[in-house]
Amino acid sequence: MSFWFTVLRQVGRNLRQTWMSQIMTLLTVSLSVLIFSLFYLIYTNMLTVGDQLGDDLRLIVYLEEQPVPEMQEQLRRKITAFDDVEEIKFISPEEAYEKFANQLGNDRDVLEDMPRDFLPPSIEVTPLKTLRSLNQIKLFSDYLAKLPGTLKVQYGQDWMERFFNFTRLLSIVVLLSGSLLILTTVFMVAYTIRLTIFGRHDELELLKLVGATNAYIRTPFLLEGLFQGLLGSMFGLAMLYMLFRWITERFAGPGFLSMIQFTFFPPVTIATIIVISVLLCTVGSHTSMQKYIKV
Amino acid sequence: MVELIKVSKRYPPDVTALSSVSLSVDRGEMFFIIGRSGAGKTTILKLISSMEPPTSGLVEISGQTIHRLKGGKLAKLRQKIGVAYQDFKLLTDRTAAENIAISMEVSYKKPQIIRNRVRSLLEQLDLADKHDTITGELSRGEQQRVTLARAVANSPTMVLVDEPTGNLDADTTERVVKLLQNSHKSGATVIIATHDESIYRNTSCRIMELRQGAIHSIVRGDQA
Ligand SMILES: Nc1ncnc2c1ncn2[C@@H]1O[C@H](COP(=O)(O)OP(=O)(O)O)[C@@H](O)[C@H]1O
Ligand SMILES: [Mg+2]
Repeated sequence: MSFWFTVLRQVGRNLRQTWMSQIMTLLTVSLSVLIFSLFYLIYTNMLTVGDQLGDDLRLIVYLEEQPVPEMQEQLRRKITAFDDVEEIKFISPEEAYEKFANQLGNDRDVLEDMPRDFLPPSIEVTPLKTLRSLNQIKLFSDYLAKLPGTLKVQYGQDWMERFFNFTRLLSIVVLLSGSLLILTTVFMVAYTIRLTIFGRHDELELLKLVGATNAYIRTPFLLEGLFQGLLGSMFGLAMLYMLFRWITERFAGPGFLSMIQFTFFPPVTIATIIVISVLLCTVGSHTSMQKYIKV
Repeated sequence: MVELIKVSKRYPPDVTALSSVSLSVDRGEMFFIIGRSGAGKTTILKLISSMEPPTSGLVEISGQTIHRLKGGKLAKLRQKIGVAYQDFKLLTDRTAAENIAISMEVSYKKPQIIRNRVRSLLEQLDLADKHDTITGELSRGEQQRVTLARAVANSPTMVLVDEPTGNLDADTTERVVKLLQNSHKSGATVIIATHDESIYRNTSCRIMELRQGAIHSIVRGDQA
């Protein structure tokens, strides 16, 4: 009881003495958390968008001629040799004709004069909806193009590639801002605690002389780092949430962005970000103490 | 309780403050160290309170070689030794009460107990009205008494006092001596470094005289 009483009073004294730099640190921590989690939020939302888009993604492999059943088996094996897929479907020229005619609807009479087999036979390959297989879709299509008897492979090549290049870039930005978060929080917290330590030098010396234990001297500083991490990350996340609400409300209604369902972090991610910030700040204050409080 | 075995202390570059001092002070003894300014009195107290390591020799307290102690053990030992420093070492931006409380806070005494003890000590040292005064604003004599109060507050088993009456008038000197005698009566080992003859004149305790870092004599007060 009186341990925590003494510790908390000490934290109060530290805050009173260095409140300016404490606030600066708090803002820096919040800002780094905000920057990092903003990019991370965009990234996770892009992944969901990618998922939604990937739902309709099929590779169509046009063939020179209708494969016989043994040939079909062989093609199937070759395709799955590259990667597991969700579905492989062989489409004969007749089925293709039917499908096309259905798509034309009332205009189907334009097909009247065409032979029933004027469309080439094809294979519809539906890739697995994992990020890995979506990422290597280009490789997959190149691979399919080299199969014997292939005329051409088709899918939403252009935008798919651009989209995945973008998410890849974004993942780099997430990593960079993550490192920024780590550096700034550890550095800033270590710095303010160093200020406090220098400001209270006489007192710390005396405390050692009258027999203060390590725990007595250090716990207030560790607690200070812990509060910085806790408040800073909660503050940063709160700002991000407000930004998120503002954007989603602003772009609600008709328009390109309204097609996508944006989501905020789930509670687990929020808790993880807070816990990691707290850990980082505590590490920051710990390094400072290792350096400047010799016991 | 305290054992110094052939202890020498040299300060860099080449000041020899103590040379080969051997001394033994019993548990519960009251012991005076006298000698001119520069004789090495403060240095002995610094060695006993482990503020300074000896250059050679051993300093033992209750059988433990203190300059080998570290961390928690050293802290525990220091909580049991109350020191009134010659240069006070008060936190001049805190009140008298806060300064005295420090030595009890580090061993996590209850706030209620600390409050009562602080009041009673201030009372005994005629400082009751200075409870909430910043120590930086006190006179030297008042600061000296606050230092002493801090040294005895945590009821240490050993009290080291360096020139406790340097800035005091006869009346307050008497109060200080009374306080030290109370500590002594309740069982603490008390070591007092002083050149103020008035506080050891009528004592029956042992008195050690230092000259230039060496023991000149150790006598009983009533035999001198
Ligand atoms: N930190 C120090 N550095 C160098 N010399 C010191 C230091 N402390 C004390 N001395 C020297 O050691 C000698 C003994 O000092 P001290 O123990 O303070 O004597 P006293 O307390 O009896 O006046 C003196 O000559 C003093 O100048
Ligand atoms: Mg001295």
